[in-house]
Parts: sequence; C-alpha cells; structure tokens
Amino acid sequence: MPDLANPSNPQSLTPNPSTHPLYACLYLPPGSDQPASSSSTLIDIAQQFSPRYERHRDDVVSVDVSGLERLLGPGRVIGEELRREATARGVRLHVAIAGTRMAALLLALARPGLTIVEPGGEAEALAPIAVGILATLNSQVSTFSAERSELSLETLQRWGLRTLGELTSLPAADLVARFGRPAMTWQAIARGEDIGPLVPTLESERFESSLDLEWPIEGLEPLSFVLTRLLEPLSTRLERRDRGAAVLHILLRLVTRDASGTGWEEHARRLQLPTPMRDVRTLRTLALLDLESHPPASAIDRVRIVIDPTPGRVLQHTLFARAQPTPEQLSTLVARLGALLGQDRFGAPALVDTYRPGAFAMAAFKTDHDESNRSRLRAEGASASLAEARGQRSRAEAGERGDRRENIFSALSADSAVNCFEQQAPSPQPLVSSALRRCRYPVPARVVVAEGRPVRVTTDRRGFAGGAVTCCAGPWRTSGDWWAGLAGAGQAGQAGQAGRAGRETPEVRSVPPVQPIPPIQPLWNRDEWDVALNDGAVYRIFQDRVTDAWFIDAIVD
Amino acid sequence: MPLARVDLESLLRTHRLDRTLTTALPPLDPRDEAACAPSGVPSLDAPLGGGFPRGQLSEVVGPRSSGRTSIMLQTAAAATGRGELVALVDALDMFDVESAAAAGVDLDRLLWIRGHVVSNPGLCRDTNQRALEQAIRAFTLVLQAGNFGLVIFDAAEAPAEAIRRLPFTTWLRLQRMVEGSQTMCLLVGGEPMARSSAGLTLRLRPHGIRDWGLGIRFGQSLFEGLTVEARVVRARVREREEATAAFSTVVSDCA
Repeated sequence: MPDLANPSNPQSLTPNPSTHPLYACLYLPPGSDQPASSSSTLIDIAQQFSPRYERHRDDVVSVDVSGLERLLGPGRVIGEELRREATARGVRLHVAIAGTRMAALLLALARPGLTIVEPGGEAEALAPIAVGILATLNSQVSTFSAERSELSLETLQRWGLRTLGELTSLPAADLVARFGRPAMTWQAIARGEDIGPLVPTLESERFESSLDLEWPIEGLEPLSFVLTRLLEPLSTRLERRDRGAAVLHILLRLVTRDASGTGWEEHARRLQLPTPMRDVRTLRTLALLDLESHPPASAIDRVRIVIDPTPGRVLQHTLFARAQPTPEQLSTLVARLGALLGQDRFGAPALVDTYRPGAFAMAAFKTDHDESNRSRLRAEGASASLAEARGQRSRAEAGERGDRRENIFSALSADSAVNCFEQQAPSPQPLVSSALRRCRYPVPARVVVAEGRPVRVTTDRRGFAGGAVTCCAGPWRTSGDWWAGLAGAGQAGQAGQAGRAGRETPEVRSVPPVQPIPPIQPLWNRDEWDVALNDGAVYRIFQDRVTDAWFIDAIVD
Repeated sequence: MPLARVDLESLLRTHRLDRTLTTALPPLDPRDEAACAPSGVPSLDAPLGGGFPRGQLSEVVGPRSSGRTSIMLQTAAAATGRGELVALVDALDMFDVESAAAAGVDLDRLLWIRGHVVSNPGLCRDTNQRALEQAIRAFTLVLQAGNFGLVIFDAAEAPAEAIRRLPFTTWLRLQRMVEGSQTMCLLVGGEPMARSSAGLTLRLRPHGIRDWGLGIRFGQSLFEGLTVEARVVRARVREREEATAAFSTVVSDCA
C-alpha cells in the first residue's frame, strides 16, 4: 500500500516541501528603539537566507525561502532562524512564513512575532484579520493599489464587513457587479493568493574591469589592445542587463610614485558620454581620443575601467525617417573634431539676444536627434512626407514641362537658354534671403569721405583691394553695452536708426592711416554703411564713433 | 493612404534595403528626392534637374557678392527643413549666424566647424594654407562619419593659390568617400576646385539689369539685394547643357 504520508511519494497527500513554494515576509514595525540603519539591515538579513528577495518598502521585505527546508528544516525553524538573525543585529521584526507571498505579507503586517501558516491554510489564517489592513498596502507593496481606489473600504465597513474572511465570503459575481473587476483582485488578496510573481530586487551591479600588465606599456597603440580586451566583457554584461554606458572612467596606474611617495601615481580620465552606448569600438575610440589629448605622464602598468550604467536607449527603426548618423557616430565625430580643432571650434550655432552685429553663441552639437525626428514625423505625418516627395517630383516635372508663366528662366534646354536669357525681361522671382560673410576680425580700411558719404574704400589686406564706391546706403547708427562701464564709451547709442551722414564737414577728407585691429570690447558704437565698389563687391563697412577708424565688417554675398 | 509602389521603392533605396529584393529596381529618376537634394530655390532646382545630386561633389563658384553664400544657406535651410543634418566646414570662419537664421536654417541641425583665422595674417601665406589643410581634415572626418544630408566646404574667400596648392588627390579621395552615399557635398569657392563626374558646377555672377549693370540693387537709402544669374555646368558630355537661371536675394531685417 503506498505510503501517503511520505512526502517523497508522488501520491502523498502531504505537500512535498521541496516542491511547494514557501515565502517569508519581514516587517520592521516603527519604534524609537529601532536603529537608524534598519532598512538596510532587512536586506542584509534577507540576503543571508536567499538570493531571491523583494524589497517592497524600507520596512517590508519578502523572501523566497522555497527549498530552504532541506537545509534548515520546516517553516517554524526557518522563522526562528530569521528572528534570531534579526535579534543578533539588534532589530525586532515581525516574521511570517506562508505558502504564498501575499499571505506572508499580510500576516507580517497584522501579527507581531513569528507567524507560521502551513501551505494551503492561508485563507483560514487571514480570515480573522481586519479588513482595514488592505489600506496599509501602498503602491510599493501591492501592484493593484491603483485599483484600490475603486473599492472603497468605507463602503465595506458600512456593509458591516470587519474581517478579510467576511470579504471573501461575499459572492464574487455580486461584488464585481457593484465594484467592477478590481473586486475580484481584492478578494484574491484577502484569500492570500499571489496575484503576481516575486520580482527579485537586484543589487546594484558594478561594471568594472581591470588588468595588471606584466610589463609597463607606453603609447596609445598597445593601450588600444588592452582597452579592447577590458571593454568587450563589459559590453557583453551591459547588453545582458539592457544597459548602456553613461560615464566611462579610465584609471591608469603609472610606474612613477605619487606625491606622497607611498603609492603609485594614477592617471584618471572621466568621459561623460552624450548617449548611452555599449559598442566596444566606439568606447575604445572615444577613450583613445581623450587620452590622445590628455596623455599619461609615464608608462602604465595597470589599467582599470569603470562604467556607470544607465538604461539603454529604446530604438524603433522606421522606413519613413531618413537615415541619420547614429549617436555613436556623432560622438566619435565630435571627439575627433575636438582633438583636431579644439573643443571651442565647432558646435551648433545659436543666436544671442543682442543687437551687436555678428553676435553668436556656440552650443554643443546634439548627438541624438531621434526625438526631434520623431516629433517632426508625428507633426507632419508619414503620409505628408510622401505627399511632399510626390509634390516635389510633380513640381519638378511641372517646371520641366514649363510652368513658364511663373519663371521664364527655369528649366531651359541648351538650345534656348541663352536666347531666352537675353530676350526676356525678368519676371518676379522667388526670393532668397541675402546673406553676409562676417569678417570675424574686422579689416581696417581707409575710407575717403565726400559730403558725408564714403567715396573710396581701400585696405592693405590681401584679397581686399577695394575701389571706388559706386553706390552706398547708410549710415545706420548702432551701439550698445555702453553700460558695461568701459571708459570712453561716452555717448548713448541708439540701435538701428537711419540718420544723416555721420560726418559734419562737407569737404573731402581722408582718414588717418590704418588703425590697429580693435580689441574685442563689450561695447560698440558705430555708423554702418553698405557700399558697392566698382569691382562688383558689396561690403558692410562701419566707422567706429569712438576712434573714428573705419573697418570692413562683412561681405554681402 | 496605401503606399504607392514608387514611394516604397524610394524608401527601400534610401535605407539601402533594395539589395534584398529578388528583382532589380528600376534606375533612379534624376528628379527623385533620393537622387537629388533640392536647393530650396525653385527657379534653380529646375535647371539643376531637381537639385544637387546626392553622393557627388558639386560646386557653387563665383566672384565676391555673386550670391554664393545666399545659395549655400538656402540649400542648408532646405536640408534642415527635410530633417537632415548639415555640416558646414567654414575654412576661414566667415559664417554669419544671423544670416543663416534669416534664411530658415534650423541651427540645431547644423554642425558648424570653424577654421582658425588669425586677426592679421599680413603677408603670411602659410596661415591660410594651414587653415585650409585643417579644414580639409575636418571635412574628411565629417564624410567618414557619414549620413549627413548635406556637407558644405566653404572656402569662398580663400586665395586661389592656396586652393591650388592642395594636392589634387585630395579631391579624388573625397569624391570616393562620398560616392554611393546619400550625402550631398557642396564646395563653395571663387573658382572651380573639384567636381566629381556626376556632380555639377553652379557658376554665379551678378546679373545685369537695366539701371544697375552689376545686378546690385539699392533703394532710396537701403541696400535691397542682389540679382544673380546662375549657370549650370555638368561634367558629363551627353548632358553638357548650360542651363541658366536667375534669382534675387532680398535683405532681411537682420542683415
């Protein structure tokens, strides 16, 4: 006759402790005598018994102790061991052991001391507990607290329900009819059923790798191989965790002693990456480019790499977006440009809120344009972009076939181009904004002024021969930042006003020899002119009203 | 709206997935957006055949005040308007941000690379040469990164002798780098520098009209803009048609 009491017998009526789940819940009740670091103590206690634990709150931790019976014994022994461990650490805990995580949690919250419930007896053990305990579950403990608001505990208490057992005794269909589907969830919780699995709390993983070299290395080329060897396993681990590198720390131990003489000098570099990345080649390239700009002072005998992880980027490729450089490609390009030109010689230009002519700012060039592309596509709609492509094609076709009324000079074959160009009068043309080419350092000029207007402009700069002025417009007086307090600023400025010519004397006068390049000053006070010279060039020139010197500021092109 | 077959083919080409098809796609229509990048000036796009060809080196050349910079910025504005990234290698650091904003360039999508310029180069020719060589290296890095919609090399004010002193293999190498890509390369200069076989040269000059022989328009007390004649020169013999167009530039409030 089969031994039904033997747990190892497949037909046994006794739950096999090795197959039946078992959970423990540790609850730290509030109290003035509890040590300040109790929350971390709970984690430490849980880690002593099982690697699978879930931290719900600072004072509540669920532990999966399934299988621990083979090591320690039945549930009561496990519970006592937990309490003994807590006492040794100086904290007093409520400990509950049950077959379900939810039952253990509710019992630990409701009952002090050690509570043991045999698997299968959760509903019976929870029945006497007050229904108000459901209010203590918050979003960190129960994944269904969002639905709690739909089930009013006050309503239950008005009905005369006091315990979880009374809640579970209500007919489910009627309860759902009154409160909706969340009522089923709450009844399941009241019975101690697990609604979701235990989500283990993972320790913060450290992404670090180091290598002690047999002999010191110098130069970036041998270091490149070492970096690759260290970055490859780190990249694999990042990929498994769906993480990217946010910051890359490179720590190189050198062969020279540090200032104190007791340790070895360390060359440390920190690279803030613009986007999360884990590609080995990109990380290695960025590291090498940085070390190229900031090389170590001596040979290296130990290389350590530490990565600060961050959640990886979520990419959704689409056929409707034009291919663009990836953030990794742009990051590498930015690093290479920085090494070639310097960090201040490239970026995205930006306007400045000022009337200063030629003012601009440089912003860091974004390496991730995915979001702006997505928002642009959402705004336009994929169909609109296709319609635009069709429209461009049809416009080009229309232009070729001859929308000749609109633009008589467009889309002409060689046979007719020159003839038409000579014969036809210009019809209204689409407008193109006129652009300037700024002389970042204004070019000193000699300007001959007659009757208050420039008549000749010459310079000593190669490429700016100058000539007679065929036509001019101005002066436009502009000034600003005189409040910056530089001595000699003098006159108050009015920006952009047309006025009389700046010179009072009617006779022809020539300006003194070329003045040195003016230093970059915070204030400006000038009269600007647009002049066309007889060589066909159009310039923007100005006369500094403080020094009376003339300069070429920009070329109209 | 269901995708038309021609649109789907265009998208597949753009993302280089056409090689996965079992049947070959028809050759690209020169007016296709994947083949050309519109300049943003409709009167110019027609003689250009839809725009500047992608995957080729093209040039915009002309004397000073012939509208080169205006065309350059208009093309950049059109590119950023399409959502493309634009890189500008400004060899002599003469880019005006306000002019770009007035032309409609999305500054966030523009990578501006500024060459080193000394305040007073004097008679030192090497300064310009070094600036140009460094600009070429930066240009090469940008092309290596790839997938920019438009890359501009602006050497409009560089002395012609400095340009000529660059090794001729420079341009061959750059042409090879850009071939087959979706990047449109534009060289802006005073004289033709280099142009790939399928690229084109746009020669600009002030267009003479009636009262103003030089196409420079001045109003009562205000400079109004330029009127420019553009002549398209293609390299391929069979397409050697010198189409022309004219357009006007208008001074915006900030200029």
